[in-house]
Amino acid sequence: MTKLKLSSKMHLFIIISVAVVFIGFLVGIICQFVAGGFFNYGAEFKSYNTVEINYAYVDFSEEEKVVEICDGVFDKAGVSYYNCASGDTSDGGKIIFRFSAGSDEKTLADAANAIQTLLNGDKESSQSYAAFHKVQTTLNGGRVLTYTSIAIASAVVLQLIYYIVRYKLTMALGALLANFHNLALYVALLAMTRIPVGLSAVAFAALTVLFTMIATGYMFDRYRRNLKKENFAKLDGDEQTDICVRESLVNSLYPAIGVAVLAVILFVMLSVSAMSVVGVISPVVLSVLAVASAIYGSMFFMPPVYTRIKRIGDAVKNRSKKNNK
Amino acid sequence: MGKIKSAILTAILLAGIVVLAFFATVSYPIAGSNKVSRYDSFINRISLGSDLSGDASAVLYPEGVISYEDYVSGIPDDKESDKYKEYVDKYEILGSVCVEKEVLGENGVNADKLKNDVKHDAEILSKRFGEKDYTSFSVSVKDDYTILVSLPTNFSYSEYRSQFLDSDYVPNTKSDKTSAISNTLTALTYGGGALTLRNNEVSGYGLYDSKLSNYMLTPASKDISDYIKSADSISRAGNHVVEINLTEEGQKLFEDVSAKISSATNDKNLRIFIGDKQLLEVPLSEAVSGDTFYISTNNQVAADNYAIIIDSCVKGDSLALYYGTDDANNLEITYTNASLGDYSAVCLFCAILAIVVAAIVYSCIRYRLLGLVNAIVILMHSLTIIVALLLIEIPFTVAGAFFAVASLALMCGANFALFEKVRGETLKGKTMQSAIKSGYKSLLKGILELHVVLVAVSLIVALVCVGELAASGLIFFIGAIASYVLYWFTRLMWFILSSTVKDKFAFCGFKREELEDD
Repeated sequence: MTKLKLSSKMHLFIIISVAVVFIGFLVGIICQFVAGGFFNYGAEFKSYNTVEINYAYVDFSEEEKVVEICDGVFDKAGVSYYNCASGDTSDGGKIIFRFSAGSDEKTLADAANAIQTLLNGDKESSQSYAAFHKVQTTLNGGRVLTYTSIAIASAVVLQLIYYIVRYKLTMALGALLANFHNLALYVALLAMTRIPVGLSAVAFAALTVLFTMIATGYMFDRYRRNLKKENFAKLDGDEQTDICVRESLVNSLYPAIGVAVLAVILFVMLSVSAMSVVGVISPVVLSVLAVASAIYGSMFFMPPVYTRIKRIGDAVKNRSKKNNK
Repeated sequence: MGKIKSAILTAILLAGIVVLAFFATVSYPIAGSNKVSRYDSFINRISLGSDLSGDASAVLYPEGVISYEDYVSGIPDDKESDKYKEYVDKYEILGSVCVEKEVLGENGVNADKLKNDVKHDAEILSKRFGEKDYTSFSVSVKDDYTILVSLPTNFSYSEYRSQFLDSDYVPNTKSDKTSAISNTLTALTYGGGALTLRNNEVSGYGLYDSKLSNYMLTPASKDISDYIKSADSISRAGNHVVEINLTEEGQKLFEDVSAKISSATNDKNLRIFIGDKQLLEVPLSEAVSGDTFYISTNNQVAADNYAIIIDSCVKGDSLALYYGTDDANNLEITYTNASLGDYSAVCLFCAILAIVVAAIVYSCIRYRLLGLVNAIVILMHSLTIIVALLLIEIPFTVAGAFFAVASLALMCGANFALFEKVRGETLKGKTMQSAIKSGYKSLLKGILELHVVLVAVSLIVALVCVGELAASGLIFFIGAIASYVLYWFTRLMWFILSSTVKDKFAFCGFKREELEDD
């Protein structure tokens, strides 16, 4: 840790970032045409199919029995649902099985018919129904995305103004670059890993920006303090940056480790509650991607690039000083 | 500070925390009520988001469209009768819905138009429900011809238990929430035409509508937006009103029409219709003037709903189709359980409790009795969040829990950074008092800056974002402010608790570097 030297490896980090972003966007664009979306949209943003069961309490007092029958039919049909919700209606119980939009509609419709037959047995009049439905949910995500984008943009602009006032213009530009880079990296990782993108993915985009702000804040604060020391001011830009990264790395890693621990604890407890890890794993992976993007971008990519920005800034400053003289 | 003073202050504070923690976490049957009445703890009364308390959903069927189940149950028993043939011939079965052939037109020429109208209406409904600031909701087109609306129930845990987990105890507040959902679904889905102002007796500037047997108060050639600019809801001091902002032309119309209606003999009501159905009636006792017109309602939910639908219609977003939701029999609401399981709220509480306990144990091991000071502020922070969730009625979701714990981590992080700084100062040989002073002084700007940045960001998120993210931003905003206040409270508690102890270094688990005497 004490010998961490990043400034000399600017090209390496640029290559890594460009490669990840390029691959991510390439995968996204290919999937846009092949798999029906730049991202693998989650339940909040994409359409889905359902098989809905309405059953009478007179026939089935326990929901588990109905689910057991349905599971048997779905297994036989070779289809699997990603979510099951149950509830009450005025006549009895209701179970809704959600399937991805790509699942075969005819198979699901046949499965619904088979379930209805099994639920009603030999009875003449049917008390329980099973039906296949198509649901097109494409309406609500845009609003959340729009307002979150406005919030993120406002926060970034405020950060830029604050950094210009408190630190330096070059530092403000460095932080701005880190924000854009980390968001692009996060988006590329989402497209690449095909993790379901729902509202939590949007929330974690905001978290990426927040972490970037904290990490860059720590680093530039350290920079500003160190510049007051005579020995530090005499060092060249690369060495100055390396020292500041080393000194602020641990502080920036603490919140990241905290988030990781928190995500794991929530993951374990909610998996116990949901009796499944499928629905819970995606937010955990998203939090890891968000934190990884923020830490890599702020502590590895940004410092060497900032050193170059600083050098250019210093050169411009010196030139204008000479001209004034 | 003297030992007695310190002991009294500590005892009062701890007693306050214990009492508050007791009422915040423990529910119990009220003595003497034969277990009928029950005290619900604060955490049992916090509104939960849809991931923890499930959804309420309803399917909206346009006129002429019914579900396949309703179709089957309506088939006459006698298959040879004319009624049977008439019934079977009336409907076209399209997957899971049945549409009247009359609505579809000859050879289904109107099918595409019907589908497009449903899609268009779904988009308008999405906007309307979006105005309600739900943590999550969805409006979807189901089976091409119907609309599925899902809203969060925002049940508290005790309400959720009574709905899904066979609990005998039903909180009084549950019916308020279910009726609010039902009223919202009814009010916001009024459709089948534009908004009009009517009266049974007074003609105003409009014509007599023989179908509805009343007068339109505005000319048919004019749009309602010529008279009404917008609508908003206002709730103050227990009064809930819909504020209707009028245009200049609207002011003249309302002044004239209200004077006529207030002096009418049989019908003194201004009736607001949407399509062929009356949305609400406003009794008028005198002529109104000014650029705003107020409609008083029973509660905030009603005021919000009426304001949203009037505003939506004024802005040209009227539903093309009529869904019959004004009739309670047509609106079947299904309550589904939490997507993360019935006990997700309990599991989430256990997870947060585990984190809180871990933080307390860690601070006690590392900082001995000073860890107790940290434990006290951790408990105070947790109680602040719980009370804020309860009082401000912020729906609590998994994301909200994440941000609440993050704010707790922020406070612990600030305190741990301070403790380490003070430890560093003591190693330099400073006295405890001097070390604390230096520690606070050196971290003053850093901690303040961190909190200011986080408070600003969370405020932006709370104000600009919508839904779950806005709620999470608000929780973090409250948590971050509590964190900074409690950071300074730590100093006070440190002073109070350590004043009774002789060895102040041992109190904190610190060691003082012995300086050689020159």
